[in-house]
Amino acid sequence: MKEIRFIYYFKIWLVMAKNSFLGWIFKRGAIAIFLTGKLIRYFFYFLFLYFLTNQTQGFLGYTKDQILFFAVSYLFVDVAGQFFFRNVYTFRQLVISGDLDLILSKPTNSLFRVLMGGPDLLDLITIPPIIFLIFYFGTPVFSNFANVFYYSALLLNGLIISAAFHIFVLAFGVITLEVDNLVMIYRDILSMGRFPIDIYKEPIKSLLLVFVPIGIMTTVPAKAMIGLVSPVGVLSALIFGVSLFTLSTKFWQLALKKYTSASS
Amino acid sequence: MTKYLSSFKLALKQEFVYKLNFVLGRFRNIIHILVFFFLWSSVFDTTVGNHFGYTKSAMLTYAFLLILFRSITLSSKSGDIAGIISNGDLSNYLLKPISFFKYWLMRDFASKALHVIFSIFEIIILFIVLRPDIYLQTNPVNLLIFVYLCITAIFIFFNLLILTSFVPFWLPELGWGAQFLIVAIIVEFFSGAVFPLDIFPKIFFEILKFTPFPYLVYVPIKVYLGGSEINLIQSALISTLWVFILFRVTKIVWHKGLLVYDSSGR
Repeated sequence: MKEIRFIYYFKIWLVMAKNSFLGWIFKRGAIAIFLTGKLIRYFFYFLFLYFLTNQTQGFLGYTKDQILFFAVSYLFVDVAGQFFFRNVYTFRQLVISGDLDLILSKPTNSLFRVLMGGPDLLDLITIPPIIFLIFYFGTPVFSNFANVFYYSALLLNGLIISAAFHIFVLAFGVITLEVDNLVMIYRDILSMGRFPIDIYKEPIKSLLLVFVPIGIMTTVPAKAMIGLVSPVGVLSALIFGVSLFTLSTKFWQLALKKYTSASS
Repeated sequence: MTKYLSSFKLALKQEFVYKLNFVLGRFRNIIHILVFFFLWSSVFDTTVGNHFGYTKSAMLTYAFLLILFRSITLSSKSGDIAGIISNGDLSNYLLKPISFFKYWLMRDFASKALHVIFSIFEIIILFIVLRPDIYLQTNPVNLLIFVYLCITAIFIFFNLLILTSFVPFWLPELGWGAQFLIVAIIVEFFSGAVFPLDIFPKIFFEILKFTPFPYLVYVPIKVYLGGSEINLIQSALISTLWVFILFRVTKIVWHKGLLVYDSSGR
């Protein structure tokens, strides 16, 4: 039964993705500009890291290759999160206009619709090069296949935590109408995971591991690949991710009870 | 002059309308600086010697000056012009008996004034919390040229942003895209607002120094830090030249834009 529900929602997601991508077809100039901008940003970001690690030969006890691998792991979680959850950026308008009513009255899960209803074509285009970079920078730090498995599972866990954060933002959006800044703050805090979170001093480091667990989303997967995380550590991170996701869905349900449909 | 002073006061009040927006915007700025600060702290703490010609105190001073420079140079309201042209609201401004450029310059000044006040508080708080070893410049010539470069940086950015905002005269749907590419990407990376430009090979800066971008953040900060690689007089002259060139280009593009402007959307 659960399998059938999964296929049902996957088909809906495909339709929503198709609609979202079709919207870009008439904006070819915008595609070229935004894609160029993103590629320039990634290019200079890695160029900066390349020159930095070349000069220092690594820092904090990590080698040059390991630092670059941390960076590309962060990039994957960031971009994949934007690809799947881009619809959150337009959620405020739904609440303000009262159009959220139209979604709530449909037989599909409303959270699924507002969270994953608008995958971003530009992020989709940039994901394959990032996966290539994961292989490219991952090869020098490869130790065994068990670590590769842990890394993959923890990256997926990073996306689950990313989903949880986006759900919290949606729920806050229902209650306070404040979505735009919150989601950008989430992304800025996530950007603190561009480098191993060991660079931060206490109490910021602990905050980034537990309170705003970007460390678990970006640093822990890369550390697992390098072989610095025990199986118990991997399991704990996964339990944390699933728990946070569950908590976020509860918060969403609570927020919906506060929704007054005032604008409709 | 009174009407521009009124524009300044009005813009200041408008900034306070969305208080939460403003505070969250400042919070985001601090996050960027914290990443910069802690990255370089750990680089200097866990490796041997100076890097890219910087001592630890010079690099951390760069981080703190970034807080101030982002407020002085990169905070602005002129980016709204793109939307005004796209939706036809520009017609309202053209009918008013005020100079369009002076009005937006006043709005920019109001935004900068508020951001600078907040950034000073942030610098004090971060200084107390992080207790960094900061480099204090005492040479009056460096300080004088540093202040002068701050002023030219304001005008260079104002013109760059306005020029980018004029794109919707010809391509109304690409206003935001052009700003993303020029302001959020090119200016951020080539001005030294993300990392010092010394990271790259020397030839890179030798080419870049003939563009307006490094005079927005990197060159003024380097002048403050007293780096021998920067020629003070040459930097002041080139940045002044860019102010005049950009003013002239902005005027030309503005007049050409008005010729094709059809107030669509009104």
